[in-house]
Amino acid sequence: MARPPFRLGIRAKLLLVLSVFLAIPWLGYAYVQEVERVLRDAQEAKLAGTAQAVATALHDRPALFARPQGGDVATAGAAEIEAILQGLTRTTARIFVVDRQSNVIARVGTLQRREPDGAPPPQGIARVAAWFERIVVHPLYALLLAQPTEDFSDDFLGRPLPFAKEVDRALAGILAVDRRTSRDGRVGIVAAAHPVWAGDAVEGAVVVEETTNAVLAQRNRAFERLFTLVLALTLVGATALAVFASRLSSRIRRLRDEVEQAIDAKGRVRRIAAGSAAGDEIGDLSRSFTSVLSRLADSVAHREALAARLSHELRTPIAVVRSSLDNLQGDAVAAHGRVYVERAQGGLDRLAQILTRMSEATRLEQSVGEAEFERLDLCELVRGCVEGYRSAYAPRAFVVAMPAEPVAMRGAPDLLAQMLDKLVANAVEFGTPDRPVELRVEHDGGVARLSVANEGPPLPEAIADRLFESMTSARDEAHRGGATPHLGLGLYIVRLVAEAHGGSAQAQNRPGGSGVVVTVTLPVG
Amino acid sequence: MSRRIAIVEDEPAIRANYAEALRRHGYEVAAYSSRPEAMAAFRTRLPDLAVIDVGLADEPDGGFTLCRDLRAMSATLPIIFLSARDSDFDIVAGLRIGADDYLTKDASLHQLTARIAALFRRVDLLAAPPSSEDVVRRGELLLDVKRLTASWKGVALPLTLTEFWMVHALARHPGHVKDRDALMHDANIVVDDATITSHVKRIRRKFAALDPAFDRIATVYGMGYRWLAEGGS
Repeated sequence: MARPPFRLGIRAKLLLVLSVFLAIPWLGYAYVQEVERVLRDAQEAKLAGTAQAVATALHDRPALFARPQGGDVATAGAAEIEAILQGLTRTTARIFVVDRQSNVIARVGTLQRREPDGAPPPQGIARVAAWFERIVVHPLYALLLAQPTEDFSDDFLGRPLPFAKEVDRALAGILAVDRRTSRDGRVGIVAAAHPVWAGDAVEGAVVVEETTNAVLAQRNRAFERLFTLVLALTLVGATALAVFASRLSSRIRRLRDEVEQAIDAKGRVRRIAAGSAAGDEIGDLSRSFTSVLSRLADSVAHREALAARLSHELRTPIAVVRSSLDNLQGDAVAAHGRVYVERAQGGLDRLAQILTRMSEATRLEQSVGEAEFERLDLCELVRGCVEGYRSAYAPRAFVVAMPAEPVAMRGAPDLLAQMLDKLVANAVEFGTPDRPVELRVEHDGGVARLSVANEGPPLPEAIADRLFESMTSARDEAHRGGATPHLGLGLYIVRLVAEAHGGSAQAQNRPGGSGVVVTVTLPVG
Repeated sequence: MSRRIAIVEDEPAIRANYAEALRRHGYEVAAYSSRPEAMAAFRTRLPDLAVIDVGLADEPDGGFTLCRDLRAMSATLPIIFLSARDSDFDIVAGLRIGADDYLTKDASLHQLTARIAALFRRVDLLAAPPSSEDVVRRGELLLDVKRLTASWKGVALPLTLTEFWMVHALARHPGHVKDRDALMHDANIVVDDATITSHVKRIRRKFAALDPAFDRIATVYGMGYRWLAEGGS
């Protein structure tokens, strides 16, 4: 079956599924932004409260906003206002008081945070974690999130005031809260302006400002915690899943490899061991493969045993016919009857020959097991056999090419000769009648290659991979029949003998399709 | 007095055919279809020769058992196995328990009667003094064609009938290659090449048992076998 051009393994697929986890940090980010909004609202409310508290302290004290003689700016009470403010100031807030003309008459505090309180240096594993955070995590987050910084400037001299809008609204009698960025644009600033009342009139306004750094820091911390947790979980999950997927795919691969090799080139079936004891679906798969393959093996064995059984079962009825005919011949049979008896006997002889051939392979299988191996010279054996073939198949020519020196090997000469008989018989039968059969012995390292080639039609493709199985024949109708019966056992016998010697047999078309060459590879030495 | 042959065969048609053919050759024939029936008859009276099928009705190895029992009753009674089973294993097993020959059912009646006649001749002549005219001598090998006995270096060689005829065919013309068909013809058997091979193997083994250095029977690969003359090839 053709493979799909684009392949994605189980492992890759599972990891792809795992990428869904990557949506979690995004969800976390949305959540953290919500938190940030809430924190901001709280900050604004708090600043508004502070502004109101300061304003309350200044209410109904017009003297504080009195203008000095000849001055436009109400600085008369500035010192007192500052004293009041000092008592109210917060560490990270900046408080201004302006008069009706938006002139700053007092200010205290700074937006910059003071030196952070020195936390104790982390110990042990925490130190490694802190180091890891500083080196890896923080730079990563810096890319994603705005970081609070104390390195900014929001100084201003004169007008317009950076918080002019809020002041205007406060002087109009409305509490105003707004946000802006610092002059240099590096931090966000929240400002709340509250009117200072004297009776029904607005005497001035109080402006309380704070950076958004505290909120940012909190938001970032929340996000970092969440993100670190999700990242860790994702990593653990991905690792577990990858290990699981690797194991799964390696088991399936092992099973596939075994299944592919379960039926060897010769059609023999092996048992599947991979996963056969597993309780999951792969185990089931392995077991069903085993059962399917064992059924296949049964049918292969059945086919190979069929010849032997058939020959055995047919012997008795043939013996009945033969002995009857023999008796008939012994009796006085009329002349015209004798012809029929002879014909029947001729047919019976052929039948008996078929049976003998059918059991030949089985008998060979038995004798292969008991064969006595001895040291022999392959060249000498081939030379001797060819002498026999030259007389047996005259006038067919035989061309022999072999090395001058002996090719020594361990083998059973009878079996090897029988194998060569089959190879030559095939070559003679399928070869072009007036062309020679070519035998070749090659000695190459640890192996000897014995090949028999003939000119003639190429191997039929349909049975190319089953040639060496029992009862497979390449004969077409033109080759069928005739005096000698053929059962497709010849190359099966070749294979049996080759395998008994630890070798193998292959059949190929000669280059150019001008014929067929069967090569037997045998270990030597 | 005519000779009495026992046929033990479970297939009625074959049994009847063999019995009739042998009767026509002048033998007295007793046919049995099972081992117990045959044994019962043998206890009363032994035949002069027995032809036994290996598989008997419901006893797959009944013939072997019968042969063993019969051999215990008589050491010289000729016994021939006639069986559809032709594996080396069966042939070796049959000959080991004392049969004089093992034929497959491919054998014709003619081949069977030739064997029976030869075995009777051997029995008859065992008592008589050897006559030199029917002896083939090839170096250390001595073949008594009449009695169908062989000896190597003066020691008797226990050959079956088939084996004797094969050795005879080879040794009659030393140096000549006898192909498998010729051996089959001379030995009055119809078997396949592999069986010929195992017959030759058994013959060599019997010679080697007497003389480990025996190497007279040479294989001519792809052709057949030949007897090597003394000191030559």
